[in-house]
Amino acid sequence: MTDPLPLLVENLTFRYQRRSEPAIQNISLTLQPGEILLLAGASGCGKTTLMRCLNGLAPRVYRGEISGKIEIFGSPVEKLSMSQLSQYVGTLLQDPERQIVGSYVLNEVAFGLENLGLPRDEILQRVDETLEYLGIAHLRERENFYISGGEKQKVALAGVLVMRPRILLLDEPLANLDPASAQEALQLFRRLADDGISILLVEHRVEDVLAARPDRVLYLEEGRQVYYGDPQGLMEVVDYRRVKLPAPIVLERARKDALTANLTIALPPPSDQPLVTFEQVSFRYRPELPDVLHDINFSIYPGDVIAVLGHNGAGKTTLVKHALGLLKPTQGSVYLEGQDTRQITVAQAAHTIGYVFQSPTQMLFAPTVAEELAFGPRNLQHSPAQIEQDVQWAIRSVHLEEELNTPPLALSFGQQKRVSIAAVLAMRSRILMLDEPTAGQDYWNYLAFMDAILQTPGFDAVLFITHDVDLAVIYANRVLLLYNGRLVADGAPQEVLRDEERLRQCRVLPTSLLRLNLEFFPHTRQFLRAEALAYFAASETNNRNQTQTNVFL
Amino acid sequence: MLVSFNYHNRNSLIEKIDPRARWIYSILILFAITLFWDIRFLLFFLALNLGQYYLARLTWKETRRAWGFIFFIMSMMVIVNTLITSAGTIREVMQGGHPIVAISIPIFGWSLDFTLTIERLWFALTQVVRILAISALFLVIPFTMDPRQYGATFRGLGLPDRLAYSLDLAFRFVPTLGRDFQLTLDAQRARGYEVEKLDGGLFAQIRKMAPLVVPVTMNAILSGEDITNAMDLRCFGLHRRTWIEQLKYRRLDYFVIGMGALLLVASIVLKILGDGDFWLPPALLS
Repeated sequence: MTDPLPLLVENLTFRYQRRSEPAIQNISLTLQPGEILLLAGASGCGKTTLMRCLNGLAPRVYRGEISGKIEIFGSPVEKLSMSQLSQYVGTLLQDPERQIVGSYVLNEVAFGLENLGLPRDEILQRVDETLEYLGIAHLRERENFYISGGEKQKVALAGVLVMRPRILLLDEPLANLDPASAQEALQLFRRLADDGISILLVEHRVEDVLAARPDRVLYLEEGRQVYYGDPQGLMEVVDYRRVKLPAPIVLERARKDALTANLTIALPPPSDQPLVTFEQVSFRYRPELPDVLHDINFSIYPGDVIAVLGHNGAGKTTLVKHALGLLKPTQGSVYLEGQDTRQITVAQAAHTIGYVFQSPTQMLFAPTVAEELAFGPRNLQHSPAQIEQDVQWAIRSVHLEEELNTPPLALSFGQQKRVSIAAVLAMRSRILMLDEPTAGQDYWNYLAFMDAILQTPGFDAVLFITHDVDLAVIYANRVLLLYNGRLVADGAPQEVLRDEERLRQCRVLPTSLLRLNLEFFPHTRQFLRAEALAYFAASETNNRNQTQTNVFL
Repeated sequence: MLVSFNYHNRNSLIEKIDPRARWIYSILILFAITLFWDIRFLLFFLALNLGQYYLARLTWKETRRAWGFIFFIMSMMVIVNTLITSAGTIREVMQGGHPIVAISIPIFGWSLDFTLTIERLWFALTQVVRILAISALFLVIPFTMDPRQYGATFRGLGLPDRLAYSLDLAFRFVPTLGRDFQLTLDAQRARGYEVEKLDGGLFAQIRKMAPLVVPVTMNAILSGEDITNAMDLRCFGLHRRTWIEQLKYRRLDYFVIGMGALLLVASIVLKILGDGDFWLPPALLS
């Protein structure tokens, strides 16, 4: 007789208590020992619900109606107690910040074993083994709050692995990581699988996850299983406009499709009158702490679309907060349209700069989306007619027209993020600054709103912070590269992103789209998205054919 | 994620004391303080507690904000309760006394009489000393107690596992709320919101605080849910728990507890003998 499978799911359907429609329907899958199964799909497709069914939170914590079969090593999941279950199934939640309970690394990693009541010596030994395995033994005595995003994730993972689960559920584990940390995390997941753990990896950045060499892919749409098979097959099934696939594959497929319209940026022509100027800016939070920013010099000019790239903790957000005067430099000065930010209030600066914070939950408060959007412009004392018009435009840009009367807090995280962007768009600031605009967003959604923003006249300059190199490739006409609080490169994307070695040093990695663009650059003279490159590739082949024909004639 | 109070080891005598002993001592002293309304006794405790503050090597700069908050709450309490309504005082202060000024405010036919007496004023001063003494006693704790030991400390004091860990989380919730508040304030200021420019009546002002209060509250609720999930997934509360932080009583700890007990017993004895009630310097009345 063969050993029972680590995980067997048959016809699983789950409906939350207060919903009329099931969140997932008729899901069937299996996990072999050492297999990585990629679970892909747009936000709201049921990925999180499926995970909750597998780790026992649904229906134990999230009440609802469940049907179908889930077996873990041959035992029906409902027969396992939560403590048995959590020793089989370890869950890494989307944001390590939301998973870490302890105050220090050691306490966090030991937490689960403490709860199981194991002897103290055994706990300490297992904690040290796990920290060693993940290569983070040096963090043992550190406070969780002060370690980097990538480190936090490893600590959270250690807290799960220390319980020696046989199945690991990973919920969008790359969402908050810089490209190099994401790459390391993926290699680590592969190593865990090779050591025999079965992994269910939820991620909509399909292209990035391929580095972990998933064995199979399950693709969900609206709670239903659309595709279940090897990764290669997925590339042919899914819509490349909805899920991010490797650029060469998009190029290949887009050739057969109708041409997509190219992006025309509606920003003003370049000028040499700076909007914002950083002059030898250094900053530290407290005198005894090291510099977070060090000797930063640059200006933002009309017509700039700037991508700020850099590792977790490089100082990207700190830099942007200076432009608005939320932080004042320790040394040097920041000028906003010639005025020192020390001499103006943040509210005054908000007339010129619209800044979208990283997390939408920090700012949403109004009873309806419409009121949320009107809040900023009202503070700036725009006229009611103007506000009405701008609110309409802003909500259309993020495709949430139907939600104008919904309370923003009732929306999903991805929708909230778009509301927070619209709330700043409605202020019609001349300079727009976005902090990680793509976090928690589907590929299609973020491309759509970035297109909308850049195609609408009214902005003098746009700046965005991102870990997504492709976003810089597609949209930016200027790239700032930060490393440990220093500005190490500032220039056109084709110049800054060409230097692969420097990118790697800054923990930013080249993508397939970037490589493809560098290859085509002599012909295109600009960076384009993969679909547009397909057009170029096609016309080039045509040209070549024509020349050949001419020769034959 | 919960943030801890800004703790760093300062090698002070106070930090060498077992945290359990410090809690026991602090609670004993708290009981002793609450026995008295005599400013002379209260000044003794204030001096004792400031001594602890000094031994803990705390600086004014670190605790400035906490003191600011204490002063704010204290002023409200003293002005409203003691001086205006006398609701928080004792009988001999509420009734009679030696008036300093008398104000009568006419409101729709009847008048509101308010008399400030020497007793009320002195009682207010006594209350200030009392609040400061208690604040100095407990303010030291978050700054000088290793956050890793919170849970084990409460467990060691005899509380059940679940409650001990909940208190650990609750302790860290306070600075977390502070951080969230700052983030939200920044995010709203970037939308042109000016908290300095609140105007209108009391209710209008409260309504205008919504952009700050709603996100901070919602965040607290949501992160509470995250924490419970994360804890459930790692078997919290299912078994008797092991605590890897170990605490051990030493001679110094017994001494500290003994001192606290002695001071409380002495206070109770004095109280029984009739000392320690509200005391007004006779010189003030002459």
